[in-house]
Amino acid sequence: MAAFYMSEELVGILRQERAASELQTQVAQLFEESREDVYRYLMTLGLTPSRAQDATQEVFLRLYAALKGGEEIENPRGWIFRVAHNWGLKVRARHASENPFDADMEAKLAAPAHDAEHDLLERERMLLFHRAVEALSEQQKRCLFLRMEGLRYPEIAAAMGISPSAVGEFLRRAMERLKKVRDE
Amino acid sequence: MSNWPSGHPEEGLLLRSLDGELPARKARQVRKHLEACWQCRAEMESLEATVAECIRYRKQVLAGLLPEAPNAWQTLDRGFDRVDAELAAAPLWKRLPRLAPAWQWGVAAVAAAALLIVAIVQFGRTPSVQAASLLEKAVAAASAHPAPVRTIGIHMRSGLPTLHTVGGAAGNWLPLPPEIRMAFQAAHYDDADPLSARAFQAWRDSLPRKTDDVKTEPAAEDPHEPCYQIRTQAPEGELASVTLLLRVADLAPVESKFEFRDQNWIEFIQVMEPPFQPDGSPVATTHEAPLRPVVPSRPAAVAPRLSASISDELQVVTLLHRIGADLGDPVEVNLTDGKVLVSGAGVSPERQRQVHELLDGAANVEVRFSQPEAALIMPPADAPATGGDTANVGIQTRLEKQLGGRAAFERFSTHVLDGNEAAMAHAYALRSVAERFPAANEQSMAAPDRAQLHRLARDHVAALETQVRVMEGALDPVLAGVGGKATTVPSAAGADAAWQQAAEDTFRASRRLEVLLSVLLGVTPGQNAAGDLPSQVLAAVADLKAGLGRCQTLLAQ
Repeated sequence: MAAFYMSEELVGILRQERAASELQTQVAQLFEESREDVYRYLMTLGLTPSRAQDATQEVFLRLYAALKGGEEIENPRGWIFRVAHNWGLKVRARHASENPFDADMEAKLAAPAHDAEHDLLERERMLLFHRAVEALSEQQKRCLFLRMEGLRYPEIAAAMGISPSAVGEFLRRAMERLKKVRDE
Repeated sequence: MSNWPSGHPEEGLLLRSLDGELPARKARQVRKHLEACWQCRAEMESLEATVAECIRYRKQVLAGLLPEAPNAWQTLDRGFDRVDAELAAAPLWKRLPRLAPAWQWGVAAVAAAALLIVAIVQFGRTPSVQAASLLEKAVAAASAHPAPVRTIGIHMRSGLPTLHTVGGAAGNWLPLPPEIRMAFQAAHYDDADPLSARAFQAWRDSLPRKTDDVKTEPAAEDPHEPCYQIRTQAPEGELASVTLLLRVADLAPVESKFEFRDQNWIEFIQVMEPPFQPDGSPVATTHEAPLRPVVPSRPAAVAPRLSASISDELQVVTLLHRIGADLGDPVEVNLTDGKVLVSGAGVSPERQRQVHELLDGAANVEVRFSQPEAALIMPPADAPATGGDTANVGIQTRLEKQLGGRAAFERFSTHVLDGNEAAMAHAYALRSVAERFPAANEQSMAAPDRAQLHRLARDHVAALETQVRVMEGALDPVLAGVGGKATTVPSAAGADAAWQQAAEDTFRASRRLEVLLSVLLGVTPGQNAAGDLPSQVLAAVADLKAGLGRCQTLLAQ
């Protein structure tokens, strides 16, 4: 009987092995689709472009390792942002001299538009909105950026180590402030 | 009667409704209110416009103006190879399948089965083979590389955790108290470097009788770092058991725990971020510093202590449970800076008062609520139920007919959704307890703490089970009348399974039932209208009951 169960276990492992190349294809596809989003999120955490790029690659490789190790991941995108968030904070802590992500954002927003779509009013509006975003607390900002990437409250909560209710409260406060700017 | 003190849902509720994050019944209440209230509908439209502004900001500012990646994106192929190579250091039972090409399915299965038989015949007990093989590799890996500089935390049954730098110029000697050093020597365990595969292997090989257990676990210092955990129990000798964690990537030992026969224990944990000087040289001096905010021992709590322990955290969580503050209130409990911090944003003033009354003055506990004016009031739900979604009108019409009309359907819907809401509160609370006190930490808790933890978890399991029975009593006859087929799911739990995992499974089953119920009762549109929804709901109930059964079995052990 024990041998029977072990054989079943081996069959499962063999299936995983056969699925390894499929797994690589899936992770590579997700990497293609989401790497810019992850990279951008890491930049908003304050990582330099080169570190954000390295960290992005590492996050997807961790996803591959986790999946290959048999971890069941219901929502890979949520998982990726959770790991990116924690990894990004670690990198940021290690390199305390990182610049804030918006170091020259204001200058860029104030610069003449490159195309007709960005007229003066629109840029002015975005500049005000950007300042309002920057004025949010760190936790409000994290919740907002992760929500912008499509994460649900429990996923944001898992990434930040807080409760979903707290995520709701941080987002409410963030939206309250941003709404004022929009209505001005 | 209004569901909200002000007569209107607060902005937080509107936002959570917009984001699809409200429990089904509350979402239905908000939606009904919006149909009737222009003021709130205008407020909702303003929120939607702000969300749209956020999307524009993401596109125009974040995506448009942040610097692009400095280098062209490379494919992950080389990274995949690296990960595969790291995983290739797996023990024998993991390497077996790689002996055959994956596509040669039948050949691989036969070859693997044959190898397995050989392995069983030759070695008798698989965990022992795994442990021996892993240790052999880890010793070889350690011999191939010079001893690195490591920062190791030592955590004993009593006393504060301490950090020490070893390896390199600092040498490998760990400053252990004389009594611990003597205990190691009496157990024939190398006390010079207890956190090493070589010392573990030598001790294990010297045992006439032993039991091994091998599994994969995340490292305590870095949950994303997969490790092999080898635990060897000895029926005789000074040491009752030793647990060693080897990092999967390079088989480096990162944690070890020693449990002595006299109930003493000691842990060694390699801190993942060694404290290097700016010039790259290691910090040479030994210093006292908190390693973990957790002191997992009640005996240690008997003596006056300066910092809180996991026992204190458990006490606080239990007290909050007694006043129901663990069921839906955004009250946070964290062990931080040597104390149990109870905090929360948006907690109602009444709840804050209760928590202050309960915990103010308790040693090593701080209560700190922020911005009470921003309270997110969760009113008691007493609105009449309603359906109204169009996606599953077919099944709802059948239910109405089965129940005898629209009014009866609404009563039924309210009854079931109320039960579900109460059930979900306990499902969340149960999972929260399981996450806060994971199996790894529970092992190091004293027996009274473990018993208290189990009582707390059993409370939630029992309350959840009561609510499930209420729902089941209402659902069974009605769904059977519209063609739903009941199923049974065995609830047997493995003897070595952890109740925390069963709690997580139970939470997932609860969530699945919640989603199915909201579709069935027309609270949210569903994609499986054409499927056998009544049977799916009954199956979800059975699944949830099975999960609860597993929890009860494991918590009774």
